[in-house]
Amino acid sequence: MTVTTSSLARLPRPLGRIRESIPERFAPYAYVAPFFLLFAVFGLFPLAFTFVISLFEWNPIGTKTFVGFDNFSTLLTDPRFWNAAGNTLSIWVMSTVPQLIIALGLAHLLHAARLRFANFFRMSLLIPYITSVAATAIVFAQLFDTHYGLVNWVLTLIGGDPVNWLAGRLSSQFVIALMVIWRWVGYTTLLYLSGLQSIPREMYEAASVDGAGGWRQFTSITVPSLRPIIIFTVITSTIGGLQIFTEPLLVNPTPALTCGAARQCQTLTLYLYEQAFGDYKFGYGAAIGVALFVMVVAIAAINFALSTRLKGSH
Amino acid sequence: MRSKSRLVAVATVALSITAALVGCSSNDSNGASASKDFTFWSFTGINAKADVQAYEKAHPGVHIKLTEVGSSTDTAQALTTALAGGKVPDLVLIQGADLPKFVENPDNFVDLNTLGAKKIKSDYAPAIWSQSVASGGQVLGVPTDVGGMALSYRKDLFAAAGLPTDPAAVSALMPTWQDYLKVGKEYTEKTGKPFLDNAETSIFYQMIGQGSQQFYNNKTRKLDYDNATIKTAFNTSVEAVEDGLSANLTSFSTGWSAGLQKGAFATIATPSWMLGSIKSNAPDTSGDWAIAKIPGSSGNWGGSYLAIPKRAAHVQAAWDYIKNSQSPTSQLNHFLDSGSLPTTVANYTNEKLLAKTDSFFSGAQIGKIFTESVAGLKPFYVGPDSAQIGTDFQNAIINLENKKVSADQAWSSALSSIKQDVAK
Amino acid sequence: MSGSTVDLSAAAKTPGTRSSSQPGAPRRRHSGRVRWWVYGILILAALGSAFPLYWMFVVSSTSTAAATQLPPRVIPGGNFFHMVGVVFSTVPFARSILNSIVIAVAIGGGQAVLCALAGFAFAKLRFRGRNVLFLVVLLTMTVPAQLSIIPQYMIISAFNWVDTLQGVIFPGLASAFGIFWMRQHLASTMDDDLMGSARIDGANSWQIFWRIAFPIVRPAAFVLGLLGFVSSWNDFLWPFIVLKSPENYTVQIAIQALQKSYTVNLGLAMAGSFLATLPLLVVFFFVGRRLVAGIMDGAFKG
Repeated sequence: MTVTTSSLARLPRPLGRIRESIPERFAPYAYVAPFFLLFAVFGLFPLAFTFVISLFEWNPIGTKTFVGFDNFSTLLTDPRFWNAAGNTLSIWVMSTVPQLIIALGLAHLLHAARLRFANFFRMSLLIPYITSVAATAIVFAQLFDTHYGLVNWVLTLIGGDPVNWLAGRLSSQFVIALMVIWRWVGYTTLLYLSGLQSIPREMYEAASVDGAGGWRQFTSITVPSLRPIIIFTVITSTIGGLQIFTEPLLVNPTPALTCGAARQCQTLTLYLYEQAFGDYKFGYGAAIGVALFVMVVAIAAINFALSTRLKGSH
Repeated sequence: MRSKSRLVAVATVALSITAALVGCSSNDSNGASASKDFTFWSFTGINAKADVQAYEKAHPGVHIKLTEVGSSTDTAQALTTALAGGKVPDLVLIQGADLPKFVENPDNFVDLNTLGAKKIKSDYAPAIWSQSVASGGQVLGVPTDVGGMALSYRKDLFAAAGLPTDPAAVSALMPTWQDYLKVGKEYTEKTGKPFLDNAETSIFYQMIGQGSQQFYNNKTRKLDYDNATIKTAFNTSVEAVEDGLSANLTSFSTGWSAGLQKGAFATIATPSWMLGSIKSNAPDTSGDWAIAKIPGSSGNWGGSYLAIPKRAAHVQAAWDYIKNSQSPTSQLNHFLDSGSLPTTVANYTNEKLLAKTDSFFSGAQIGKIFTESVAGLKPFYVGPDSAQIGTDFQNAIINLENKKVSADQAWSSALSSIKQDVAK
Repeated sequence: MSGSTVDLSAAAKTPGTRSSSQPGAPRRRHSGRVRWWVYGILILAALGSAFPLYWMFVVSSTSTAAATQLPPRVIPGGNFFHMVGVVFSTVPFARSILNSIVIAVAIGGGQAVLCALAGFAFAKLRFRGRNVLFLVVLLTMTVPAQLSIIPQYMIISAFNWVDTLQGVIFPGLASAFGIFWMRQHLASTMDDDLMGSARIDGANSWQIFWRIAFPIVRPAAFVLGLLGFVSSWNDFLWPFIVLKSPENYTVQIAIQALQKSYTVNLGLAMAGSFLATLPLLVVFFFVGRRLVAGIMDGAFKG
């Protein structure tokens, strides 16, 4: 969103000098029409309709009653909603912070000149990205199985006690965060690597002449130069993190819709899905969706403020 | 005020547009297919394909488009989405636990009385038939099977613990749940191993199905879940967990499946349809198992119904299938093939059925044992929130098993969950 | 869901200057040889990336009982082809692969063309409402996919598209991320002077698009198509809701159907998962370099 909003300001100057014929004047609409037709039908209308549903007590197979903003006032005092919001937040922190740090480190290593097999390493880091989440979830659930999982087996080998991973709050969220990290760290690494490659070599050379060591160079050149892209990956992983759904749904099947009997890893989108499709409370589910939407917009706004400040400081 | 009424207006317009859109599609009857053909949504894993093929063979010219949607829950959710605004199947299988939500909104289904359900009603066990009857008297579904209960146990593990292994002796050893706990403690003390797979299904769920009332008052149909029957069932489960009798393995999980193979527990409350599940999860344990009566002697877990959605295009073809495939004779044959227990009362005294045994379970008299458990069943009212309330209680027991909640807190935590779930 | 995550994280990019990102281009920051531990860490990372795939193969090549034995088995057994046979006989797997290919190619290709065309209009043409329309696209980019499932399903039903491949394809074509991606590429890579002179030569915008703009963004469109291909191949929830008949299943639905309700068969589930990923691996083998280059090319650069 940073780029998106700020780039609006610098939309390229259109070519208007040459007098356009009538069909030419309408041509742009023809080019965007196929996209917007599909977009209106399958994107915009459903979205708007969700807002409408959120004002109803809406049983998909029963009665539909207009209740105004009742669903939203219920939401504010619903402990399960806040539980899901808290879980979403903590999974986001656990998955984003290590992911960005690991990606930064890996990008740094991949940036080494004369690295052999550089393309092999880059490609191998993208393998998680092409592996389906559903398949990944099955594998992770099995690796972290209490009784027969590989992880607990290793734990007991080195003298630890087996952990009931998926039953605990933090531990189940850790497993989910690990899936997210595993899936996205390679992608993020490539983004950082690309950022690293655009830092001019002369800056490092000048720093070396000034006597700055490796760590100093890292903190005073590498990190500041990458700052925009780092902020960016934080923002995008926030938006992605708010929507996390498949991982918690599939990793803890007992019971799946609550991600465990104590709702220990139920995220906001999972709670939305449980209310709408498990309990047939479409109105309430839609209200959760609207709340999510508001959060996302708020984050976009914060992002906009941040990026403006960043621009101003340059 | 003004903005509110405007919102209503906008909402109404949007709604009617959608209704119109949806209406268009539903008028469209499935194109070219002949009137004898129909679509059928069923569950995975119950071999619905075989039933359908048998029907097609017996009725030349009929083509059934079968979809095995997923688990029973998946199927109910898909049906809900379809009913809300989509193409519905002509025939759908609904599991007992999912049924009350649909019974509460009977307008979504064809009232089978209009097709002649009254004529066949007397064939079926009243306690089971009544579950699909709405408050207005509409009949939504015909029961296909009932999950009569028994107790499966590992003969070898019982012998090793010095317990009797003969089904009659085991049945006599634990006629009540208190006896079951007593034997369990003995077993666990001797072997150091858990006695049952998990307390939430093998104890709690069974006990609450044996009373004459469950989560609702039968007469007033009002919620009444904080009662003695439920509390006893809950406390018995808590005791089992506290004494280490439960292996804490959730039914149908990977660990549970592995536990079956490795003998991680000695007993498991088994509905008739679960026999197949044990066989396929632990094929190597053939002959190690035997089957005794369930403590408390009666029970029902699962069982499904065939229903016809209102907007179905081929109602008569679907009804013909129901009538034919669920007739007493068909149900008997189905039981002899697959072991799913009939809902038609005439079969409960059928000699062939009573003589049926299962070699995997050391020749257990499954026909007799399961039929007896159904005969003892008392009808009670199952309401729209019954499934959710049951899940909340079971979750509390799971949390206790996972040591996420203490025994004292378990009951109150369950009650507070329920309060939130039943609040409108 | 994975799709939305893909879109959003990838949305973080505007194309930068293309000079620096040629993979393998000689860049000399550290002089001298790369230390052994750098290779050590990178090899560990590569192994970690591939491990779940390997694990799928191990479990699917052993018997069900072996899947839960202790100590866990880490060497593949000889049961894999048997499991493959079971997969193909339990669900119409070949058909589902074909369906997945049709859907993923249609969505990937469709996104590339539609978004290139619309991105061109947004980047290089002037028309009323341009900024507003673009803002709307950006806003909806952030909306979780689960939110609109119910109304989307109603629309699909209204078109009578339930249980059809087009019911999956059409909603997937309009990618807000894609239009953003293509607009940024065109804005930064296509010279305005080029357009001006083409105009003077009498070319209309349609000709300019096909003769000048599209050739320039073809690599970017290709990568966009790839991303669309991968995310629609792996999408689960929407196809699960729309597709009902086994002959219309995508591979992800077919895997789910493999798992019988009351029986746990890890070997079968893993074999299905492995087979479902295999086609993507093959594609990745051939175009992986271009995907890597494309992601890095599209990376955000201040």
